[in-house]
Amino acid sequence: MSEVRISAEPRTEFGKGGARRTRRAGKIPAVLYGHGEAPKHIALPALEFAAAIRRGGINQLFSLEGADGTKTLALPKALQRDPIKDTIDHVDLLIVKQGEKVTVEVPVHVTGTAASGTLVSIEHTTLTLSAEATHLPDSVEVSIEGAEAGTHITAGQITLPKGAELGIDADALIVNVTASPTAADLEGEAPAEAAEAPAEA
Amino acid sequence: MLMPRKPPKGFRKPHKPSRSGAAKGGTRVVFGEFGIQALEPAYVTNRQIESARIAMTRHIKRGGKVWITIFPDQAITKKPAETRMGSGKGSPEWWVANVKPGRILFEMAFPNEAIAREAMRRAIHKLPMKCRIVKREVGEA
Repeated sequence: MSEVRISAEPRTEFGKGGARRTRRAGKIPAVLYGHGEAPKHIALPALEFAAAIRRGGINQLFSLEGADGTKTLALPKALQRDPIKDTIDHVDLLIVKQGEKVTVEVPVHVTGTAASGTLVSIEHTTLTLSAEATHLPDSVEVSIEGAEAGTHITAGQITLPKGAELGIDADALIVNVTASPTAADLEGEAPAEAAEAPAEA
Repeated sequence: MLMPRKPPKGFRKPHKPSRSGAAKGGTRVVFGEFGIQALEPAYVTNRQIESARIAMTRHIKRGGKVWITIFPDQAITKKPAETRMGSGKGSPEWWVANVKPGRILFEMAFPNEAIAREAMRRAIHKLPMKCRIVKREVGEA
């Protein structure tokens, strides 16, 4: 995944009011930390950052260009989103170095179609991988083509991208293929207290 | 119908829960592929939850799974009709979930997106507030 260059302005206003003024100006308040350095409070252009995350995913590598011309490589560590508007409220960025190995959550993509009459449940939607910060995989593919009911795909069975190591237990269940519940099963799923009971406890 | 198994630990006839603010948690789809997200605050009764669940499961017939991610744990009281004011608080009448904007109410896993969306659209008609259908975001932190 190639890095995205983005400008980072230092932030002088903090707290609720300052953060809101930053957002109104079309920027995202962010904090940059890692490698024992003191945390830096910065503001990133909202539209550019959101577009980069939309295209590259949560593990998009950024090259932050400061006002003084300094460049810093960083990975998003945590994103806070508005649940209704779905805008990014705040970002935590982790400083990384060229060639450094980092542990990230990589999305699991299920490909193919399982056998008919089965229900595919993805137990882990992301896989913890340890890989070079500058060569992070976009996703991990898991094929379920023709998988019958009772098929379990564990983390250890997944073919990992080159240079990546598994960060979780190899026995961890990732995809589970089960027999699909019948209409009668779904109807019978009604909670136990089916009787009309008043709220009086 | 969903309702607390044991009597509430606090008061039997509590004040009405606050409807201000937005949901603090439960705002992302985590179990299934699609979810119903509330856009307005509302008290959702156990009957409405059950009705929405039935609407969804009857439409998908088989091959899918439905999760209910809210629980009606708040008792709402009501005085009987044509009663003079006073003489204490009314008796508990309903169990409701206090839903705030942004909250995911139901989640669904189903291989066909069009059928899943139609099932959720039918379920939304059973609910007392504006809702939208959301899809799980891949790899979101």
